[in-house]
Amino acid sequence: MQDRPDAAELAQAVLPGIDDPRLRFRTLVAANGLGILEREIALGAPLVRREVGSLARLLGHADPLPDDPGELRRRAVDLNRELAQRIRAGDTPEGALAHLVATVADKLRIASPRYLERYR
Amino acid sequence: MSVGAPPLSASTLSVELRERLVPIFGADIAIEQLALLAGGASKEAWALDLRTPQGTRQLLVRRAGGGVIHQGTLTLEDEHRLLEVAAAAGVRVPMPCGYLGEIVGRPAFVSERVSGETIGRRIVQRPELADARAVLPAQMAEELAKIHAIPAERVPFLGGVGAHDVLGRLTNEVDHLEDAHPAIELGLAWARGRAPERNETVVLHGDLRVGNLAVTATGLGHVLDWEFGHRGDPAEDVAWPLVRAWRFGVDQLRLGGIGDVEPYLERYNALTGRHITLASLDYWEIVGNLKWAIGALTQSRRHLSGQQRSVELAVLGRLAAEMEFELLHLLERAA
Repeated sequence: MQDRPDAAELAQAVLPGIDDPRLRFRTLVAANGLGILEREIALGAPLVRREVGSLARLLGHADPLPDDPGELRRRAVDLNRELAQRIRAGDTPEGALAHLVATVADKLRIASPRYLERYR
Repeated sequence: MSVGAPPLSASTLSVELRERLVPIFGADIAIEQLALLAGGASKEAWALDLRTPQGTRQLLVRRAGGGVIHQGTLTLEDEHRLLEVAAAAGVRVPMPCGYLGEIVGRPAFVSERVSGETIGRRIVQRPELADARAVLPAQMAEELAKIHAIPAERVPFLGGVGAHDVLGRLTNEVDHLEDAHPAIELGLAWARGRAPERNETVVLHGDLRVGNLAVTATGLGHVLDWEFGHRGDPAEDVAWPLVRAWRFGVDQLRLGGIGDVEPYLERYNALTGRHITLASLDYWEIVGNLKWAIGALTQSRRHLSGQQRSVELAVLGRLAAEMEFELLHLLERAA
């Protein structure tokens, strides 16, 4: 149980009398952006690893996944480009749709988890 | 939604604005109030109260913002012309008053300012709009029928013609994003393989959905936001308000979070004599999700490139995953 202020009180404290509707909207969007960042810090690394592993299986690459987070991210960029090019060329690998559903769901776990829940 | 450079103050704008209003409303006018409104991804909207000898007029000045959502966006001058033609065709639009040319470096036009709720989330949720929601589907069908009957020769500046053109434009925009988007590629490949033959081409609004309508307690007041007007397959326009993003959380009501598709489609077909099928709407709903996924990514690039710094545009880049997920969900169902 959290101490007061409760969630509603806290929201009001963060948006203290912002009467201008544009500023209010922008502040809410900014808060949402920080929420995305917070979830990415907490959840992001294993999701990138999972995506790269799934892409490598889908595209038939056997080389081991890099440990370095930066290198892993570059691998994700390269493999996504390879997959996109194969789809564009009419050579969509078997299992691409299932891979993409799982991968985009992982993106939403960071970017918009409440949206993902609407599909359950 | 956002303005790029530091927002222009009303006093800076009002001097030039008044000069441009004189040819339309006469010399005996005064700007009583001028205020920038919320909303609008790429255009500014200014509420203008103008004193004239006939009384105070409530007007809206639409002025170009920092960028465009996609390459097919109409100029302010063409948007104003399309409004004039639509008004003459009996479409419920805010009456256009005149194109103003450039005001402080950006083009603008002035129209009547209409009342009514325009925020999508409120239209689908507010209890006091329940009666409006009951009649909106038929009214949307009626407005679409009138728009699709506008003679194309009256608006020769409208581009586009059919599914292959839409998909060509979308592919071009994806190629401008730099990084790869395989979910979108899968959707584009699916849509290319099933693109309908070019048959009938009509004038389309291009963005008619909940959120671009002024809604009063009794229903549809006015059809707003004509900047994406183009020519194309009428089913493209009929399917656009079905896209899940435009249901504003009321997912189970496929028509814009306000109703079922079937009565709306029947009304449209009865009014136009067309035979648009549910299968055709399924196709164009998938294309609609592609359009908005790519649109969201393209808008975020305006922030990333420094063209227009904005937290809303930045976050849109991440929210494109919502449209990608819906796209994949629809592809799974279609398989």
